[in-house]
Amino acid sequence: MKTRIKEFRARHNLTQDALALKVGVRRETIVFLEKGKYNPSLKLAYDIAQIFKMKIEDVFLFADK
Amino acid sequence: MAKNKSKLLITSIITLLLIGGIIIGFTGLETFRGLNLIILILIIAFAIIAFTKAFKKDREIKKGFPAEDEMSNLIKYKAGYHSFMASMYMWLFIFLLKDKFPDTETMLGGGILLSGLISFIITFFVKRNFNENPN
Repeated sequence: MKTRIKEFRARHNLTQDALALKVGVRRETIVFLEKGKYNPSLKLAYDIAQIFKMKIEDVFLFADK
Repeated sequence: MAKNKSKLLITSIITLLLIGGIIIGFTGLETFRGLNLIILILIIAFAIIAFTKAFKKDREIKKGFPAEDEMSNLIKYKAGYHSFMASMYMWLFIFLLKDKFPDTETMLGGGILLSGLISFIITFFVKRNFNENPN
């Protein structure tokens, strides 16, 4: 699963640390999310989308099979 | 960042020397030969690793980050499962070779240390290769 977290972070001028603090996770989790190595829980995905004022499906890109 | 790392390194070396000095002071140098020396080195290495991890975690908590989150817990559960399975085989192996050990204490202590080592190595590899979307 790909994400646009890095893009939105840049748009909102947020570091990985700052975003991690806002959503209540460790910085490492944000790093793994941006690399597409980790699938977040629904709550975390929602919290991140809320920070960027976007919908979940705009931030997290699900590939069609 | 570099300043913190060198501070940590210096503190770790001092801790190592202190622990080593205390142990040698109480038991004498002649005790540390062969297997005893390896066990002592492993104990000190674990102490340093545990101290370093605790120090890093404490710093992160002070910055406002959580001690654990959903991803770190998931990694812990995966690593824990694999460590448990590997340790079971390790103990079976030790049991089969029990006659090779000089005494029960050495066998048990070595087994406990090896369990710790296995856990550390497996956690390292689980974290490094963690990828829920390999394609």
